[in-house]
Amino acid sequence: MVKRKLGALEKVEADLPNLQNKIRKDPKSYIEDFRAQHYQYESHREIFMAAPTSANDTGIISLRELIDFISHVADCYPTITKDFPQQLMDILTQHHLVLEPELREKIVGSLVLLRKKELVDSATLLQTLFPILITTPSKTLRALIFQKILMDLRTANQKTINHKLNRVMQTVLFNLVTSDRTSSKGLWAIKLVRELWKRQIWTDAKTVEVMKEACLAENEKVVVGGVRFFLGGDKEREEAEDESSDEEAIDMGQVKHQAGINKKTRKKAKSVEKARAAVKRKERKKNQPHPLNFSALHLLHDPQGFAESLFARHLQTAKSKLNLDQKLLVLQLVTRLVGLHKLHIIHLYSYFQKYLTPRQPSVTSFLASLAQATHDLVPPDVLEPLVLKIANEFVSEASASEVATAGLNAIREICVRQPLAMNDTLLQDLVMYRKSKDKGVMMAGRGLLSLFREVGPEMLKRRDRGKDASMGLRSGDKREKRFGEQETGGIEGIELLEQWKEEERKKRRAEKGLASDAEDDEDEDEEDNWDAWNVEDDEDSDDSGGWIEVESDAEIELSDSEDEKDKDPSRPSKKAKQDGTADEKSESNDASKLENKFSTLATTRILTPADLAKLQELRTNAAVDALVPGNKSSRKQNSNAARHIDDPLTAEEIEGLAALSAGKATREERIARAKEFKTDREDHKSVTAKRKERKESQGKSTTNKEKQRRKNLFMTLGKAKGKNKRSLVETRNVLRAHQDRQKRGGRRGNIGM
Amino acid sequence: MGASTKRKKEKQKDFQKAKLKVGKARPKPENFTDTSFKSKSITLNQQSLTLSAPSSASQFTHHLSLLTSRSDTQRRDSLSHLTTALSSRPTNSPPPQPTSVILPPLLPLLLDSASSVRTQLLKLLRALPATDIQDHVAQILPYVRAGMTHLAPDVRLSAIDALSWLLSTAGQDVVACAGGWIKTLNCFLSVLGWHTAESAKWSANRASFGKSGAKGGGVVVRVLTVLAEFLNAGIAPQDTTDSDVDIYSEAGGPWVFPLVQPAANMVAVGTATPYLYLNLFGQPRDEEGEMYETREDRFRVFREKFMPAVERGLEGARQEGGETGRASVGVSKVLKVAVEYSC
Repeated sequence: MVKRKLGALEKVEADLPNLQNKIRKDPKSYIEDFRAQHYQYESHREIFMAAPTSANDTGIISLRELIDFISHVADCYPTITKDFPQQLMDILTQHHLVLEPELREKIVGSLVLLRKKELVDSATLLQTLFPILITTPSKTLRALIFQKILMDLRTANQKTINHKLNRVMQTVLFNLVTSDRTSSKGLWAIKLVRELWKRQIWTDAKTVEVMKEACLAENEKVVVGGVRFFLGGDKEREEAEDESSDEEAIDMGQVKHQAGINKKTRKKAKSVEKARAAVKRKERKKNQPHPLNFSALHLLHDPQGFAESLFARHLQTAKSKLNLDQKLLVLQLVTRLVGLHKLHIIHLYSYFQKYLTPRQPSVTSFLASLAQATHDLVPPDVLEPLVLKIANEFVSEASASEVATAGLNAIREICVRQPLAMNDTLLQDLVMYRKSKDKGVMMAGRGLLSLFREVGPEMLKRRDRGKDASMGLRSGDKREKRFGEQETGGIEGIELLEQWKEEERKKRRAEKGLASDAEDDEDEDEEDNWDAWNVEDDEDSDDSGGWIEVESDAEIELSDSEDEKDKDPSRPSKKAKQDGTADEKSESNDASKLENKFSTLATTRILTPADLAKLQELRTNAAVDALVPGNKSSRKQNSNAARHIDDPLTAEEIEGLAALSAGKATREERIARAKEFKTDREDHKSVTAKRKERKESQGKSTTNKEKQRRKNLFMTLGKAKGKNKRSLVETRNVLRAHQDRQKRGGRRGNIGM
Repeated sequence: MGASTKRKKEKQKDFQKAKLKVGKARPKPENFTDTSFKSKSITLNQQSLTLSAPSSASQFTHHLSLLTSRSDTQRRDSLSHLTTALSSRPTNSPPPQPTSVILPPLLPLLLDSASSVRTQLLKLLRALPATDIQDHVAQILPYVRAGMTHLAPDVRLSAIDALSWLLSTAGQDVVACAGGWIKTLNCFLSVLGWHTAESAKWSANRASFGKSGAKGGGVVVRVLTVLAEFLNAGIAPQDTTDSDVDIYSEAGGPWVFPLVQPAANMVAVGTATPYLYLNLFGQPRDEEGEMYETREDRFRVFREKFMPAVERGLEGARQEGGETGRASVGVSKVLKVAVEYSC
């Protein structure tokens, strides 16, 4: 019998991917075929459910394929497949332990696919996957599910924040952490929360609450995970943000240029379009207001209670199972909370007492924590014994220079925060170490000295006070701050703004040829500002806007004597006021000028967005100026101011320059250290090389000369050979022509165009 | 001169490669030693002492395990071996392995891609003792249904054949077991394409996926015949004389030793699993997977769900005429009888 030949179509058509493709194109016509496959799936599921453990070869593989197939086209036949997602979930939840790995992954993937097609809602999906994530022993499955959960939460929050889903999920995580404090399952909650926090998907207090509960768990892994989140989560988030903003800086000009030069294809056109869209998106993003992201430490409810229970549960009790490193982490968190929120945990300071010896492992971390835990509302008599102990244990002629440095630095950091913890005899003693031969000790001693020149010069000996401090003392400017005294605060950098405004005004008056001190056209200036409510309008309104108008001249004559300092808060009623109060103000101004150190700018007028932008610019300028070398005095002042209150104090800062005092470093070590400090400067290069590099990076071409030099030798050989065969006359002509060309300046002649 | 050329040639000969020719034995090297020898008798140190070949029982199990082999000829040969082993055994002697052991490896072969394997499998199934099959119907049916809706038309056809065999051996169990009624009927409708009014029309544009096989119309005829058998088993009026036992007479049925008045205690006598309908250990069943044990139940369900579709389909088939029309008449006849009986 002749074997019947299968037609090519017949062979190819009978596979699921092909059917899937056809269904996508025309679901209505293929409904019968889909129904058949759905029954097929049903039967296979029945077979599988009867014996889920038996890894039946044909049966299960085709079940996998069927699941794949149905989940891909499920959206075309919602009525037939309405039970399908639930069936998958049942299989997964009941049998995930015994399922064949490939089938398991397929089911998870299919569920996520169904979620994308919106046949399952996120909450159901997460409630199915999350229990499996916690219970399954399979590592690959856990990784897969974790990734899928994360992805789903991200997509759910992409367009708008899905508050409902977030709340459900956060409650689940919260319950996971709180239900069994001894189990390590809370780690999954921590991992998830940390990831979402990093991507700025979850930024609210509820999230922080989950982590707070994790910190108070009894399982050490969970505790450490929670504590690490508080100590490093925000930094991680910032870094992630920086990375995302750094990437893909598209140079639109170059893209356009290249599109103009290269062959025009549809693909190229598309890529240009894409680049344009990306740039536009980025622009829009830049203009958007910065999202208010509070750090996790600020979002805590009841930081006092949290810090107290952390301290009591993990540090104070002898029963705590944490090892030293873990304890240090917890201690760092507690002390940061204390420093940041100015909490009072009086036991904390006596707890430090026993760890402050040079033999204690990682004592610098303890010192840093102690300094961190200090703030200006801590009673000085609690701190005084600690400072004394540090001085006795660490700082002596006999102790190693690193130890002395660490001690002095720690004392300085404590006194920065609470100067009252120091008494004058001890201080005068410690300040003497600035004469030490060791560099680290010397620098630490000087640091202490300069600190107290600012905060408490009368505690120093007269000759140590320095010029500024002595003068300040005499004039009564520098007084010791009382316990609990608070500085009245203002807007950072507002005086810079005021100064700038003053300069601008002077400049304008100079242009107009008026005396720089006299009353300005304030009204019009203000008008100007109101016009410049938007930052964008700033430039043009500055010079073309109001101030050329002549109407303000009258006003200059009216309020001649008025100083520029007084600006009225209410713009409309200004004119009326000016006449009446002009003379009174001029008298009182001189007196109040001295004591009124704060700028009145913020209290007397509304700052426009343009003003705020300028303020920001001035602030950054000032910060940059302070860092420029050669500007020593300002740099010193800013070294402490530069530290933000949110930043942690690290052990490295306590160790300070101790590394320098290790005199016996070998040459290699010294070189390595020098390299560490060196910024990554480019290698030295000639100007030409640099120029060439720049040209190359800009995508520009080379000169003709360069091209000639680079030309492949074999391309030039033929011509060179021909030269040998020239006659004398020919050679002469060539040489002549060359000479002529040189004179003219090239083939085209150097005619100046 | 002469001597030197000769020596040169000799020297070169060492480095020359021997040309090999296709089909020719490789020339023996010069230092070849012939190690063959002749002997009058050969003595083996060890040898098997069993006088007979492996026992038929062990061969049977071996071939049973070979059913999952990769090559389809191997599977087919094993099947045929099993078939002969089963059919050639003396009557009334039990098969070498119990049916519960034989069936599980057999069932996936219903979906086998090789048609020779499937036909051989049918032969083997027919050789199995019919009484044992009754207890395994619930196990077999899902595979049959999977085969009926398979993408490949050949598999569909052989699954229909298998169903026909199953109906002939244990018809009542097929229609009464869990999921046996509604699900199987669904599969029938799907095979015939009778689910919706539109697809049942003969003129409908049926962009059916996968060709219906070589015989084309033959498949439909076969399906209709088996459908008639199926409906006959399910809803045809049964002769009630033997099933309607006098409940209280102990002599009514065969004496079952530990049971007293089995029917009064609601214990079904004929089956191995009398309490199956309680579904004590299985998955909870939905409407489709439910057991419909009596004719009335089945007819009610049939009339509610399938009657219109089936009638519509039958009408279409009748109008088509030819063999299909004739086959459809068989189904209609069964339907008519059933309707008349229940009215």
